[in-house]
Amino acid sequence: MSSPDTLDIRRRDLRSEFRPQREWIDGRGLLIVVAHFFSGIGAGAWLFSVWLDIEAGMVLGLVCVAILSGIAHLLFLGRFERFWRMLKRPHKSWISRGIWGIGIFSVGALGTLGAPPAWRDTMVAVSLFGCAIILLYEGFVYAASKGIPFWSTKLLPVLYITYGLRGGAALLLILAAAGSTAFDVHAMEAIKLWVVVSTGVLVLLYLTTASRSGGAARHSVRQLVAGRLSPAFYGGTVVVGILVPIALAAAREFGATGLFLLAAIGVSSLIGDFYVKYCVVKAGTYVTLSGAGLGTNANEPTRSRRFREAG
Amino acid sequence: MRLGMVIDLKRCIGCYGCQVSCKAENGTRPGTTYARLIKREWGTFPDVQRLSIPLLCNHCSEPPCVDVCPTGASQKQESDGIVFVDGDVCVGCRACVMACPYGARYYQDREHTYFDSEGPNEYETTRYLEHVRGVVEKCDFCRHRLAEGLDPACVTNCMSKARIFGDLDDPDSEVSRLVREEGGFPLTPEAGTEPNVFYLPPDRPPTNDRQVTP
Amino acid sequence: MIENQAQEDVWIPSACSMCYNQCGILAHRKEGTLVKIEGNPDSPYGRGRLCARGLAGIQMLYDPHRVDRPLRRTNPVKGIGVDPEWEEISWDEALDLVTAKLAEVREEDPRQLFFSGTVVSLSPLMHMLGTFLPAYGTPNAFVSDGHQCGNAEHILARTLHASVTTNPDARYCDYLLLFGCQAGLGTYYALTTMAQDVADARVRGMKLVVVDPYLSQAAEKADEWVPIRPGSDGAMACAMLNLLVNEYGMYDAEYIGHHTDGPYLVGEDGRYVRDADGKPLVWDTGPGAARPFDAAGRPTESAALTGCYSVDGKRCKPVFQRLKEQVAKWTPEEAEKVSTVPAERIRHIAREFGEAARIGQTIEIEGHELPHRPAAALYFKGAHGHDNAWPTSLAIELLNEVVGASNVPGGLMGTNPVCFGHPETGFPRWNPTAGAEGLLEAGALLHNDIDGPTPGWPPPPESAELPNLRDLIGWPITTCFTPAALNDDENFGGAVRPKMLINYGSNLLMSAARPETCFEAFKDCFVVCSSLFSDETAEALADIVLPDASYLERLDPVPNFARHHHPVGLGDWGHQIRQPAVEPLHERRHFCEVLLEIERRLGINEVANLMTNFAYGIPPEFALEPDEEYSWEEISDRIYKGWFGSERGLAWFQKNGVLSWPKQVEEVYWKPFSEARAPLYNEWLVRYGEDVRRIAHEKGMSGIDTKGFLPLPDWFPCQAHKPVPGFDLQAIYYRVPWHTFSMTYENPWLDEISRGEPYSYYVCINAATARAKGIHDEDPIVIEGTDGARIEGRARLTEGVHPEVVAIANNGGHWARGMPLAKGTGVFFNQLQKMDLEHTDLVSLSMDCDARVRVYPAEGG
Ligand SMILES: Nc1nc2c(c(=O)[nH]1)N[C@H]1C(S)=C(S)[C@@H](COP(=O)(O)OP(=O)(O)OC[C@H]3O[C@@H](n4cnc5c(=O)[nH]c(N)nc54)[C@H](O)[C@@H]3O)O[C@H]1N2
Ligand SMILES: Nc1nc2c(c(=O)[nH]1)N[C@H]1C(S)=C(S)[C@@H](COP(=O)(O)OP(=O)(O)OC[C@H]3O[C@@H](n4cnc5c(=O)[nH]c(N)nc54)[C@H](O)[C@@H]3O)O[C@H]1N2
Ligand code: SF4
Ligand code: SF4
Ligand code: SF4
Ligand code: SF4
Ligand code: SF4
Ligand SMILES: [Mo]
Repeated sequence: MSSPDTLDIRRRDLRSEFRPQREWIDGRGLLIVVAHFFSGIGAGAWLFSVWLDIEAGMVLGLVCVAILSGIAHLLFLGRFERFWRMLKRPHKSWISRGIWGIGIFSVGALGTLGAPPAWRDTMVAVSLFGCAIILLYEGFVYAASKGIPFWSTKLLPVLYITYGLRGGAALLLILAAAGSTAFDVHAMEAIKLWVVVSTGVLVLLYLTTASRSGGAARHSVRQLVAGRLSPAFYGGTVVVGILVPIALAAAREFGATGLFLLAAIGVSSLIGDFYVKYCVVKAGTYVTLSGAGLGTNANEPTRSRRFREAG
Repeated sequence: MRLGMVIDLKRCIGCYGCQVSCKAENGTRPGTTYARLIKREWGTFPDVQRLSIPLLCNHCSEPPCVDVCPTGASQKQESDGIVFVDGDVCVGCRACVMACPYGARYYQDREHTYFDSEGPNEYETTRYLEHVRGVVEKCDFCRHRLAEGLDPACVTNCMSKARIFGDLDDPDSEVSRLVREEGGFPLTPEAGTEPNVFYLPPDRPPTNDRQVTP
Repeated sequence: MIENQAQEDVWIPSACSMCYNQCGILAHRKEGTLVKIEGNPDSPYGRGRLCARGLAGIQMLYDPHRVDRPLRRTNPVKGIGVDPEWEEISWDEALDLVTAKLAEVREEDPRQLFFSGTVVSLSPLMHMLGTFLPAYGTPNAFVSDGHQCGNAEHILARTLHASVTTNPDARYCDYLLLFGCQAGLGTYYALTTMAQDVADARVRGMKLVVVDPYLSQAAEKADEWVPIRPGSDGAMACAMLNLLVNEYGMYDAEYIGHHTDGPYLVGEDGRYVRDADGKPLVWDTGPGAARPFDAAGRPTESAALTGCYSVDGKRCKPVFQRLKEQVAKWTPEEAEKVSTVPAERIRHIAREFGEAARIGQTIEIEGHELPHRPAAALYFKGAHGHDNAWPTSLAIELLNEVVGASNVPGGLMGTNPVCFGHPETGFPRWNPTAGAEGLLEAGALLHNDIDGPTPGWPPPPESAELPNLRDLIGWPITTCFTPAALNDDENFGGAVRPKMLINYGSNLLMSAARPETCFEAFKDCFVVCSSLFSDETAEALADIVLPDASYLERLDPVPNFARHHHPVGLGDWGHQIRQPAVEPLHERRHFCEVLLEIERRLGINEVANLMTNFAYGIPPEFALEPDEEYSWEEISDRIYKGWFGSERGLAWFQKNGVLSWPKQVEEVYWKPFSEARAPLYNEWLVRYGEDVRRIAHEKGMSGIDTKGFLPLPDWFPCQAHKPVPGFDLQAIYYRVPWHTFSMTYENPWLDEISRGEPYSYYVCINAATARAKGIHDEDPIVIEGTDGARIEGRARLTEGVHPEVVAIANNGGHWARGMPLAKGTGVFFNQLQKMDLEHTDLVSLSMDCDARVRVYPAEGG
């Protein structure tokens, strides 16, 4: 019939026991990954920039969060003109909190950069508060998705926070490489290495935990490590996102220099940051339906039992 | 009042009549099937069993879909427990789609029509007007029919009479009685959603009373 | 007719026709657009509940790919898959062309007009068969696909139940045994009502046993699924008969003695032993002498069912004794070898069936004390879709007869063979009678004849001019052998050749057998197709396509013409109307109205009027005058008034939709009230076999083999059982509840179901079998017949199919340009099917609907 679009793929999903989530990855759904990518690294970059007082980094962080992530968020929505309605339920909904976070952050960040110095400390505080919400919100949006066991774990927010920080650091490394501002690149690099290693550990921990929780979560893990997502996972997340930055950082430790190397560490980390989010979201699989009478746990079919009784 | 449904897996013949009766009642677009069906198979030949399991929104008592909604578009109606989406409020963020463990929520990524390249036909032109674009939609127990004193479309139409509808808070209702006496169970109880759609086991003992179809 | 569509909001009572069951519907029209179809709770046909197809009819009405204007082929080359390069023409032009051709053919020899049609659009089909064709003067109508459909069952339903078909009395049944049939579970007759009754019965405790090589929808619901090798049901049923009558002694002697020919004596020549008046004799154990079956003093009370006797020096035995001896060789162990069903399992099913029948017990229903036999064995498509159809069907039927579970509460019911008519008019009315030999003669079969003729068995026509086995073998109610005969000069060389074909509501090319069969037979004809779509048949063969009005756009006064779609058992009678839910869209026109026009143009309208009176049994006061012109509405009005009185004409039905009245116990459970006997022994077939052999020999039809003309049940292998090295599997097809043959593949709501469902668009193959062949789930595979025919599909590995079988749903894999939605979805089975004498059961003209095949991964898959 019609072009083999997402619609038909979704219908086909109904045939399999493990139904992949599609709304947050296929078509315009990809925009939410993009949005979370930008808000994560933007918030991370802001944090470090405030700490190390890098003005260009702050601007970049603001652009990532308020503009790039904001636009991606809006475009992702089915009805973007109603976006303000999403502010209504921060007491319950992590998305709502996230939107508040982006709003608060943007106000704080703008204030930090542009408001009179008297206001600065307050504004920094506001922006950091917003940052914290943003970094928390992403992971919790997924973790609150009860339909998708792979996501509903407390480890996921930790993972997302770590990746946010890492991405922020990576952004600053690129900035440094671009030579725009002078700052303590070495401090940055140390943080960076530490975060890269810890993301590696976290990813491992996350996947092991998920694969132990059985059913749909294990299916998600299998998709990543040995299934249709393994190219993205190994290529994007593991190699480009973890091994390459470590190798490059090590190379620098052993004396290699050059701005290019610095930039390469940053870029590969960013790609890795994107891919980890992409992979986690894409691997989301709905919980397998179970029930007392559905035979999910039956070793023996009822029919044969009855036949034996009768015969 | 807590409206709920009982689906008798012994009666259900997997005919997909509910999927289409819901579609026909609600005039939904391609890919949107508030009532749908999955099939399970287990065992090894010749001791093998297959089962058709009709699905719809469970109108959960603890609906995660309502919790995650940033706009309040997803609501649980106080008076009868119906969970519905206010299409005029929803922004189409699909958080609820991720939250529902039962795949009961639908979002159209574009305005699909059934004869795609030909555009909407007369029927679709009329019926799709009832739907707001870019929002999430779901089963609402056919509220418009309930308002007229009718049962939901999928209940009225099911040709094996496998779907029974009523008030689960009323211990004397048919649904309550069936859940109590015939071993009604919900789907995926471990999700903690407290579903209000119950299933009767496919292999339960006979009632032995000779019912005469009305 | 429909005025002021602008502000309206109406519910129109009508009748579905997405399959032959004609369920009652309510069509909701708003401002001129059909917005919903629902079941009509007032109709006994479905009691307000519809299947997925019935609900989805709306998408057939508004399918933008429908044929909307008459089409003419401009590409002179005809061929399967060839683009006909349609050109839209006006109705006037189309009718000019068609009438001119009809006139020319008729002038030369009217028998050169052939007609084919099937059951989907039943009521106009019946109108065509009953009026136009006789008026025109051609007998060459073939209701295509009877060979795959119900022929064998229909003969037995007629013989044993005075009906066209059967259904179980689900309300009282306690044990339902289905052989290759999904009655009440997804397909078959009166589906939507039977589904309710069968579900009620199963919840109540009726045991359901389903014999099927595939874990069908029915098998899914069964308490026991009995996977069987295709084509071997007869062996299993024979073994069950053997156990019942010889080992367990579980038979209803009272029923057999009074209601069957069980006591009739049969001589060694295979004929009943008759007295000088031709009356069959029974052995009266009282005086110890042979007496006519109906001699005064109720001799049958003491008539022998068993033993061996001598009458006038000739050895003879009662029919029942013959039956016992006939099935004795079918031990369960023997049946196991053939069917793969374990002998123990056959034993336990036979015993349970026999016990469930409660032989000897009675039940009181509405003040009548009736035999209570709550067990039924039913079979259809699957079991009899083989060239051993006749003996197989007979064996299964007799399971009911020997335990007396036939047309009594809880048993197997003929589909409504007795009707006393509407209480006020007594019409329509039919009632089977006992013929001269005491045997059952149907009151009416397909038509609602007012005073039913007693058909009996017509003698063979003794001519080979008609290119059809109907010419030789006259009883199957439908047959599609014609195309095969036209391709078989050796046996049918002397037959009339077609010059013109009218094909109505049938996708002959896809549904009859492999497409080449029908294409070859009619490729040189002038072909007119009346259809909804430019389907494969139209595309390959048609010169003209006439756009028909679908069931939602037309008036049919007798939609439930054939009462075999009426639910059995107690409840209501119902007579419905089919009326337009919307006026025909575009330039679509109702085929019956087109026929009226053609009749006038041809000048056969006077005869056609008379045929109409006859076909519908219109009583004199409302009968059509030969020389008057009537509109379709006027004709409909007269039919209604003729049956139900002048106050219940067309207008009444348009408003009320359905006229129903309660069935009486004597109508439903008619057997105890009837003198007529069901023949266990098909003596007529012995006679017929001799005649057929003789005529065939005289005509040099060497392919006619009457080995299957068996008066009693037996089993022999079908074509697909012939061993061919390397070909280790049998391919079969099955139905799903949401598709009708091939046509619904174009319906997007139904297509959507299959797209989300695991089996129906795949080839189901046993997982272990597949693994041994290196086939994985979803792999593209080839299924190849022993004659080189190939089809392709994707494998669905499942435990729910016999290890020797691949099972394919319905009839998919369309290729016509005119059905773009359907194109390429599902799997096309029929390429594997060969239609010829060899693959045909000559008693019933049923075809072997399976094939011996091998299966391997498709290259490049
Ligand atoms: N939903 C739906 N309903 C229909 C129709 C439809 O197309 N769709 N068509 C209508 C028509 S015209 C007809 S003829 C009837 C047919 O009604 P049924 O006779 O009930 O036909 P099927 O549902 O195809 O069931 C036949 C079963 O036989 C099995 N089978 C195949 N070969 C064998 C065999 O050798 N032995 C045994 N024991 N089983 C075998 C198949 O797997 C299948 O499950 O349905 C009518 N009703
Ligand atoms: N593989 C396979 N082959 C089968 C079967 C199967 O299940 N599988 N079933 C067999 C059986 S039992 C049967 S009865 C036959 C059925 O065989 P067919 O009756 O040929 O069934 P379809 O292939 O669905 O074709 C029906 C055609 O009628 C047209 N049509 C529908 N409604 C109308 C109408 O109102 N007016 C007109 N003019 N046309 C209409 C449709 O568009 C379609 O082209 O197939 C037989 N062959
Ligand atoms: S309509 Fe009824 S019988 Fe058919 S699939 Fe749905 S619940 Fe089951
Ligand atoms: S089934 Fe899903 S959509 Fe319905 S109430 Fe429960 S969680 Fe919400
Ligand atoms: S998609 Fe609509 S209903 Fe669902 S969570 Fe978002 S705003 Fe709420
Ligand atoms: S209750 Fe209504 S909306 Fe819900 S599944 Fe049934 S028909 Fe659809
Ligand atoms: S059984 Fe046939 S006639 Fe009845 S609703 Fe279904 S398609 Fe229509
Ligand atoms: Mo059929």
